[in-house]
Amino acid sequence: MSRVAIVGVGHSRFGRRTDVNLGELAFESIKGAIDDAGVDKKDIGNVVVGSAGGWYEESLPAVVVDEYAGLSGVGTMRVEAACASGSAAVKAAYNSIVSGETDVAMAVGVEKMTEVDTPTSVELIGRAGSYTWEFENYGMTFPAYYALYAVAHMNRFGTTEEDLSRVSVKAHHYGAMNPLAQFQKEITLEKALGSPVVSWPLKLYDACPLSDGSAAVVLASEELAKKLTDTPIWIRGVGYSSDTANLSRRDDYVGLRAAVRAATNAYSMAKVSPGDIDVATAHDCFTIAELMAYEDLGFCKKGEAAKMIRDGETEIGGRIPVNLDGGLKAKGHPIGATGVSMAVEITKQLRGEAGRHQAPIKSGVGLVHNIGGTGHYAYVTILGRD
Amino acid sequence: MDESPQLHSRRTLSLRFDIPISKTREFWDALREGKLITTRCTKCGNVSFPPQADCPKCMGAEFEWIDLGTEASLVTFTHVRMAPASFAGNDDYTIAIAEVKDGLKVLAWLEGVEAESAKPGMKLRIEARASKEGNPYYVFVPA
Repeated sequence: MSRVAIVGVGHSRFGRRTDVNLGELAFESIKGAIDDAGVDKKDIGNVVVGSAGGWYEESLPAVVVDEYAGLSGVGTMRVEAACASGSAAVKAAYNSIVSGETDVAMAVGVEKMTEVDTPTSVELIGRAGSYTWEFENYGMTFPAYYALYAVAHMNRFGTTEEDLSRVSVKAHHYGAMNPLAQFQKEITLEKALGSPVVSWPLKLYDACPLSDGSAAVVLASEELAKKLTDTPIWIRGVGYSSDTANLSRRDDYVGLRAAVRAATNAYSMAKVSPGDIDVATAHDCFTIAELMAYEDLGFCKKGEAAKMIRDGETEIGGRIPVNLDGGLKAKGHPIGATGVSMAVEITKQLRGEAGRHQAPIKSGVGLVHNIGGTGHYAYVTILGRD
Repeated sequence: MDESPQLHSRRTLSLRFDIPISKTREFWDALREGKLITTRCTKCGNVSFPPQADCPKCMGAEFEWIDLGTEASLVTFTHVRMAPASFAGNDDYTIAIAEVKDGLKVLAWLEGVEAESAKPGMKLRIEARASKEGNPYYVFVPA
């Protein structure tokens, strides 16, 4: 199979962006990615826009975003895989190059979640599962979904509320080093533990914020990538999977089966193992989600994620640094943008351009773990210098 | 961050869905009579919850209804303190997943339990309820 590389990355500031509309917000990362790649926008054969939508006024985000950036006429679509829409967009763009359709494609992730009031956003995310059976009568919320997993993990493995808070403290520590992050402030364990409960045992500081933001990557075929840049970052493996809409149909609540399957497939395609990963992003929409990711990705054995965070193994200097951009918790989680933002972060890490939060790069391999809903969708993407 | 000038849209959108239930009508009728039933495929024996007329295992379209009884065992739960917009008038509530007959699991509210006293493994009973609009639903209560 022909190889595909990331040759350009762009990223907007994440946060409550009342200063820009959808097209303007997407433009910030699109321009960044096209400039970074050094391609002519006329050469882009496919633009895939990842966006969950519903909380902003436009129904056709792809054409709105394309028009604003002067890309109308290009082959385009919007893809949805909930909070993994960004990785789905990267995969769709990747496919269009592997298939030989085009030599250059762009994946754009964009979300504007703060144009509606907070309870309405909570409602829209709470419906991300089975509306009839789990929302209509029972009012599921996004924190509630993950809290069901947190209680099971705590009960089975002795993971504590303090362990969850440690993930948040780490996220804010690195978020403070990321000028594009929504929250650029360190927090203490006491502050995280003392924050108000949103869905017990999850507290405000266990939860990612509602965010506006965009991220974009330009992908190119092998031949073109080598002409465009000295530092192409190759897409070595893509694994993806899914799980039931109804949480009641899951076997267990201590890990995400879809993530395990996606990771297995991505490792196999990339011919690497967890021990080869220099740096990773893990989908920490809630602190429990990052801990489950350590286990689902094989970074540690089942039930040992709490030990990993306690021992600092996922910090810079630890075995596998995770979420050095602040993660969803501190960087922000504009749903459709997140997967693309993760690809931007790992690309910068592998290029050695991550600045203050640069991880040591040894084998030259990084991993993106991006989950949609509550393990409803899972995408694992492995990137490499070679 | 400062609030920037914004155009407050004049057009609002309110959505209410009419969800078809003809294929699982017996389920809703039984629930109105206080019973929780579900579908079992008569070809491969697969039991589904939520009920569905088409078997997701063998794709067969012939099924029978089985009674799930009233006993359940708590698997996991959460106490919701920040509710969605359409639940704004509600008191805080507890959402639980519990195992019922044949290893099947059901998600519903857990009522009548103090937040601190819920524990995985505790024995529960399923009870039918009706919303003020008359829509039937079910909850767990301590056994």
